[in-house]
Amino acid sequence: MGRTDLPVEQQDALRSAIRWEWFTIGYTAVTIGLIALVVGGSQAMRTAWIEDMLSLIPQISFLVALLFIRRPPTRAFPFGHHRVMGVGHLVAGVALLGVGGDLAYEAISGLVRAEHPSIGTVHLLGRTIWLGWFMVAVMSVIVIGPFIYGHAKAKLAPKLHNKVLYADADMAKADWTSTVASIVGVLGVGLGLWWLDGAAALFISLGIMWDGWRNTRAAVRDLIDQRARTEDDARVHPLIARIADRVEEFSWVRESAVRMRDMGQVFHVEVFVVPTAADVSVDELEEARSAVAHLDWKVQDVVVIPTFTLPDEAERAQRQPSSTDA
Amino acid sequence: MNRWRCVWGVPLLALALCATGCGVTVPSDPQGTLDRVRSGELRAGASASGDLVTVDGDDVGGPLAGLVEDFAESVGAKVTWTVGSEEDLVDALETGDLDLAIGGMTDATPWSARVAVTRGYDSIPGARGPVVLLVPLGENAWQAALEGYMDEQVAP
Repeated sequence: MGRTDLPVEQQDALRSAIRWEWFTIGYTAVTIGLIALVVGGSQAMRTAWIEDMLSLIPQISFLVALLFIRRPPTRAFPFGHHRVMGVGHLVAGVALLGVGGDLAYEAISGLVRAEHPSIGTVHLLGRTIWLGWFMVAVMSVIVIGPFIYGHAKAKLAPKLHNKVLYADADMAKADWTSTVASIVGVLGVGLGLWWLDGAAALFISLGIMWDGWRNTRAAVRDLIDQRARTEDDARVHPLIARIADRVEEFSWVRESAVRMRDMGQVFHVEVFVVPTAADVSVDELEEARSAVAHLDWKVQDVVVIPTFTLPDEAERAQRQPSSTDA
Repeated sequence: MNRWRCVWGVPLLALALCATGCGVTVPSDPQGTLDRVRSGELRAGASASGDLVTVDGDDVGGPLAGLVEDFAESVGAKVTWTVGSEEDLVDALETGDLDLAIGGMTDATPWSARVAVTRGYDSIPGARGPVVLLVPLGENAWQAALEGYMDEQVAP
């Protein structure tokens, strides 16, 4: 139970995801270094810079969590270490929320105090050039990267059913808005519209807070065992209905219901069955358990529990899960 | 999520494009310091510091004060000196009563949160480190003109 190895397709996807995460870390390290050279007195640039640093957290927590979730279950950790992925997700969410809030406060107080951002010049090859042009140039170049790795990771996340990877890809795909906002802020300063810098900084920091809030909420909900949902949290996971339907195909089962929670990359499944007769054999239960485990690689930790009545909170068979209630 | 960001991103982008299309100079001064100085008067503050900035009554001298007077001449202005402590000068820069302040400030100056600080110039005679000049926050065309002049005169 609680298997830690993956089918071939998922192994390939995971190897690819690890490569993309390392690529992203390398790319982001370069962009952090480049922005450091030009950050100057622009609050928007500073906010975009800190956002770049924060964007490393999901990748690092993904790679660290992978080291743990490979470990098989033990007596001390009988459910395996899958939840480490959820903890990483929570850490990333809380960090984004906290730092995003701090940056939003800085941006608002700068606007309220009417602090005019100063952007000086640089002396390069005998010429004095406004630093703002370098900021715009750097931001225009680094805007490209997230499009590439964001879409690559977005393709891998559903294959692995990995919410950290999904959230990471989702944030990367929206990263261009921050980069464009910082360019707008710097150009605003250049034109003498000093408030545009603070407004851009506020826009970027609200984006960071929004990412933080969504990730924190999603991570907490999984850690307190909400019913399993798809990797984008858009709907109830269809496997719940499939499992209940599969179990009801057995002639000795009168009705069945499923409780399924998301452990990170895999699910933990409890199948409640009301048998047609009062006595159920171990063979029959084992047969049902193995049939469920064969449905999908994500459902290996399965228990089948014979009962007289089904618990209300478990999902019944033949009832298509509604996607409206969360 | 993406939709939410686009709602804000698109108007910002449009504003930027329209603003850049108006043919204004970049960088520019929200308070118009450079334009005002060009019309005649550069209000400079001085705080005495060794041989770099000397103060004798109302007379301000020294290599750095000389550079400021030459810079004023290059933009067609005359310097009106105000002598005071560094904090007095910083206060006056904040309230807009001064356009520029000099003294023994280096690139490690703690005033950088309240006023704009130029790049450091360490080849000025009498300097004990990379000397900076203080200007009001956000007057970027003014700061760029000053730094450009300093680069011509004292850059290595």
